[in-house]
Amino acid sequence: MRKWVALLALASCLSTSACVQTRQFADVQFTPPQGDYRLLVLRPDVTVGSLTTGGLVEPRADWTDQARTNIVAALRAQQAERGGKVQILNRRSELKGANEQEVADVERLFYAVGQSIVLHKYLGAYLPTKRGKGLEYTLGEDAVSLGRKTGYDYALFLHAEDQVASTGRIALGVIGLAGCFVGFCAPNIGGATQLDYAGLVDLKTGEVVWFNVVRAGSEVPGVAFGDLRTPEGAQQMVERLLGRMKPGIEARRAAEKS
Amino acid sequence: MCARCLEISRRSLLVGGGVAAAALTTGVAHARILPKDMVPLVGPGYRPTERDEIGLWHEMDRVEEEISGSNLLVQDAGLTAYLKDIIGTVGGPAAKDFRIYLARIPDFNAMMFPTGFAVVFSGLLLRMRNEAQLAGVIAHESGHFLRRHQIRSWRDMKRKTDIFSIAAMAAGVGGAAGGVYLGDYVQLAQLGTILSLFQYSREMEAEADALGARLIADTGYPPVEMANIWQQLIGEEDASARYRRKHRRKGSLFDTHPSPDARMADLRADVAEVTVPGRTYDNKRERYLSMIGPIRPMLLDDQVKLNDPGASQYLIETLAQDGWNGLLRFYEGEVWRLRNRHGDDVRAAQGYAAAVAYPDAPADAWRWHGISLMKAGRQAEAKAAFARYLTMRPDAPDAAWVRQMVG
Repeated sequence: MRKWVALLALASCLSTSACVQTRQFADVQFTPPQGDYRLLVLRPDVTVGSLTTGGLVEPRADWTDQARTNIVAALRAQQAERGGKVQILNRRSELKGANEQEVADVERLFYAVGQSIVLHKYLGAYLPTKRGKGLEYTLGEDAVSLGRKTGYDYALFLHAEDQVASTGRIALGVIGLAGCFVGFCAPNIGGATQLDYAGLVDLKTGEVVWFNVVRAGSEVPGVAFGDLRTPEGAQQMVERLLGRMKPGIEARRAAEKS
Repeated sequence: MCARCLEISRRSLLVGGGVAAAALTTGVAHARILPKDMVPLVGPGYRPTERDEIGLWHEMDRVEEEISGSNLLVQDAGLTAYLKDIIGTVGGPAAKDFRIYLARIPDFNAMMFPTGFAVVFSGLLLRMRNEAQLAGVIAHESGHFLRRHQIRSWRDMKRKTDIFSIAAMAAGVGGAAGGVYLGDYVQLAQLGTILSLFQYSREMEAEADALGARLIADTGYPPVEMANIWQQLIGEEDASARYRRKHRRKGSLFDTHPSPDARMADLRADVAEVTVPGRTYDNKRERYLSMIGPIRPMLLDDQVKLNDPGASQYLIETLAQDGWNGLLRFYEGEVWRLRNRHGDDVRAAQGYAAAVAYPDAPADAWRWHGISLMKAGRQAEAKAAFARYLTMRPDAPDAAWVRQMVG
């Protein structure tokens, strides 16, 4: 009898312990860029680490570099399909028309605004003044001036962090799973976790027109979700994050009417 | 009855274990780390070769890029070169590899990052009384790099959390199989693990202090200045707490650093070991004061605006041990004006009045002196003070208003 209860518990654990969540917000008038647009991708902020047995994240230089290369390649392939002209920065100094400090300033500003978006749109601290208004955030004049100086229409900011469960972590999960048969069921100690987010800024107005967060995680070590170290995993992540850009509510209504 | 026996023994075990863990981590059982044992573990041009350290360095490259371009940094080429020169002197074998940045943060702090770049807070420059003290702090930070503290701490943390996780899982599964509840032991082990991580961190700090004392003594600074730093900090924290009617926080088991008292005591002992009899040491106070002089008004201004009157007053009085001047008297007045409690305006007015008696009184001292006089109904004197302010700063943002007051 006890065994059956344990198995049942195990089955329910497994079914609830793995998921990929995406949630995007857009400016009410946003229409995804199509056709002849010029997109600037700021240095993708990528880190890949190994999840130790004890649950710490150990940064891995080789994995991080590999993942960044894969993501950049996947991004290039995806944007080429849409017809836009894309430049992906590897260094702040690479951008023609703007100096390193200006790029850094806009990057930092986006980071601060992005944190605000995450706090007020995703983490529950909703603001009554922003309700029903889609995404109403702006980087202001700095972004407009960057656009004017460089001639780009949009800037994309991208962040990805991935934790790969180490062998030790997986083994620990297996013991936790085995424990279910003796009445100590701990299969969900936490395994691979991926957090990605991206924001699109219209460089003509300075507004953040679109924002998306993807969270993929498995509480069971050993179950992987789109490993960024492989080209396929990176492709999957870019697709999840940027593949289905939804227009804003007013833009959608206008499209329905016409 | 038996169940009760178990209950009592479990509780007493928890208490006993807690006490044992506490005894292990307090200074009671802690042996002082000797400067002579502190051999640098890295040579010039060190690069990591192991996987975890390579990962850490890789991550830090981006951190350094952010910090080196931060708008919090004080943009003063002379001062930056000065700090670079000090770390190039007291940095031991890695002296030429270090990078050092000065951030405008009014706190007593400095930090070393795993890849060998240090950040010094401007609040440190306000507090240090001579170059030897500043060199002592920088040498302490260099010590962290030279003893490879960041990667050693990381490995310690990784090892301990690994062991704890495996043990906790084994206790859970094993306990369930054997029909015993071991949750209390797991909690105790968790506390033990956490305490031991903090203890390791304090040990690293003690190592850096010992190595720092050795490094500055080797380069001809009086090592006693390192102990003096802590004496000053204890004085400052006491003064700050007194004004807030509190007690200075003493060390606890959950601290990452040893308490200032412990550090001072250990350093006093270190000093005796690293001082070579007959050798002359130079604290280079003159050079320090001439370097810091131009930014001192900014440092004092940032400090008084923290509105921590006890600490500010203590710092000003400490600096005044080298002689009062118009700048210090002015900021003494500012401390009270900003606190703004009953009677503080009188104390502030006294500060401004004292400040303007010195030839180096800043323009703002004349301005506030004028306002204080006006409040006291001494219009003629106030006008004279305002006139003086306007001659010193004809293009002050409030010049038009002041001119109107003068009439």
